[in-house]
Amino acid sequence: MSIAVRAEREGDRARLVPEGAFDVAHAPAVARAVAHVQPDLEGCRSIDVDLTHLDRIDGAGAVLLARLLDRLDANGDRTRMVEDRNPEAARLITLYRQKREDPSPARPQPMSALTKIGVVAADLPTRITDTLDFTGRCAAALPRVVASPRSVDWRSLPWLVQQIGADALPVTSAANLLVGVIIGFLGVSQLGRFGAVVYVPELVVVAHFRELGPLVTAIVVAGRSGAGLASEIATMKVSEEIDALRSMGFDPVRWLVVSRCVALVLVVPLLTWVGDALALLGGLMATVATTDMTPRAYVLATMDAITVNHFVGGLIKSPFLALAIGLIACGQGLATQGGAAAVGARTTTAVVLAIFGVIVINALFTLVYVVMGV
Amino acid sequence: MEHVTFDVERGTTLAILGGSGSGKSTLLRYMIGLEQPMAGRIDIDGVGEPHRYEGVPPFGVLFQSGALFSSMTLADNLALPLTMWTPIRGATARDLVQAKLDLVGLGAFAEHLPGEISGGMKKRAGIARAMMLEPSLLFFDEPSAGLDPISAVELDELIVTLSRDLGITIVIVTHELPSIFMVANSCIVLDKTAKGIVARGDPRALRDTSEIPFVHNFFARSSPEASVNQGR
Repeated sequence: MSIAVRAEREGDRARLVPEGAFDVAHAPAVARAVAHVQPDLEGCRSIDVDLTHLDRIDGAGAVLLARLLDRLDANGDRTRMVEDRNPEAARLITLYRQKREDPSPARPQPMSALTKIGVVAADLPTRITDTLDFTGRCAAALPRVVASPRSVDWRSLPWLVQQIGADALPVTSAANLLVGVIIGFLGVSQLGRFGAVVYVPELVVVAHFRELGPLVTAIVVAGRSGAGLASEIATMKVSEEIDALRSMGFDPVRWLVVSRCVALVLVVPLLTWVGDALALLGGLMATVATTDMTPRAYVLATMDAITVNHFVGGLIKSPFLALAIGLIACGQGLATQGGAAAVGARTTTAVVLAIFGVIVINALFTLVYVVMGV
Repeated sequence: MEHVTFDVERGTTLAILGGSGSGKSTLLRYMIGLEQPMAGRIDIDGVGEPHRYEGVPPFGVLFQSGALFSSMTLADNLALPLTMWTPIRGATARDLVQAKLDLVGLGAFAEHLPGEISGGMKKRAGIARAMMLEPSLLFFDEPSAGLDPISAVELDELIVTLSRDLGITIVIVTHELPSIFMVANSCIVLDKTAKGIVARGDPRALRDTSEIPFVHNFFARSSPEASVNQGR
């Protein structure tokens, strides 16, 4: 089947006659025919399009013809379809020409690496302001909570303690037990080279009680409960529940954030304490399994190594780490804007920031302890 | 938005109309104090600017999704404002909650969670919660959005009942024309090109007589016959 677009010229007038099947199956041939005919129409002022000889036309053929007419019009030619010869084809071509007239919205250009850095830098003051604003609102909420305790959702506290504490106990316990095992193996392999296996229990106590216990527990809680809290509040935000709270006169910080932070501050030290005990067990298992040290000797050495400084020095960090997790998770949740994708993005950010925050706070505590000689 | 000035007469229902991006929802958020306008003043019953107001809110709000708290039963959702702002507890609170649920036709669903009821029922429960502190003014954000035609008409009938029988002033943001003709005594039409109100008055009169092209086109989406059949 031959496909062509014939141009019959008479001075500055022309008649354009598409012939054949202008459909999607023959689109390449139609495109070639359309491209070939345009030079033949140079200098024409008036062009009539005769659709009589079209065997068939569908959307694809109509688009290609519509684009040709668009280009001719843009060159200053006056095109006109002879509609009475094939009204259906004329309607179809007109449909695509009308669509063409709608201004398309400007597509955002992909950003270069430098532009992305600039955008992040420009966004930084807003982020800092938002963080300070949220911190300020949390600080301002405390005296108001004291003045009006019913402005806090205390009823959810047992449920939160269950969620953040009891439900997290298996995973924090397992993590601490394994860290105890790791320190035990490490101590045996390194201290054993100097015949100092007897100091392994003290190494486990000092390393875990002071540093790794609070840190590992807080990181696990940040990953587990921090993500849960952030996504819960973010979902409430996108489903207008936070707006509903505010419209009823509730302060979301007092109603939601305070109860969650209180639950974390109560529960994380307990999880840390349980984790410490299990880490000792892990150290014992590793040492007894790989050396001649008896369990009784390990326990006695451990009891000698545990001091108030080591025990309290670790546990005292936990409430601060817990508070950081709560504030970061809730703050990110409340800052959510948009739909389901925003919930995921904010949750990820919350977890990353919470883990980073926990490490930074832990490092600051260690620095303070070193300076104080504790 | 730059040119927006209007009053709402007590006991009437005002519809805020406009196309997408005209500022309807933003205007609503200003009125209920969730956002603060850069300039201008909003006064509700002489209580001052909504975003500065602290205390029992002088109005109730139905959000587009109903915005019920998904972890609470309908009864607990409704009791929440009472817990915060009143000393009412126990049996009295339960009676008040039940009465409001009965009023919106959900008396049998007090112990259901929001996830266990339909979209229309969630919105009715949202209205009941918005009315718990007996406000004289209710704001509705797209109440018919996402509902099937029957549920939408039932919700419109409920809004009419609240306005007529309880004398509550209602401000409703919508672009559902059948709803507008059924519930609204007056309306304002926002246009993003004009950055404000381009027409105000009785919606039927605007539909029939407005010569402003945007307003004419807006109302022309609904056939007069359909509107008359559903009109009050």
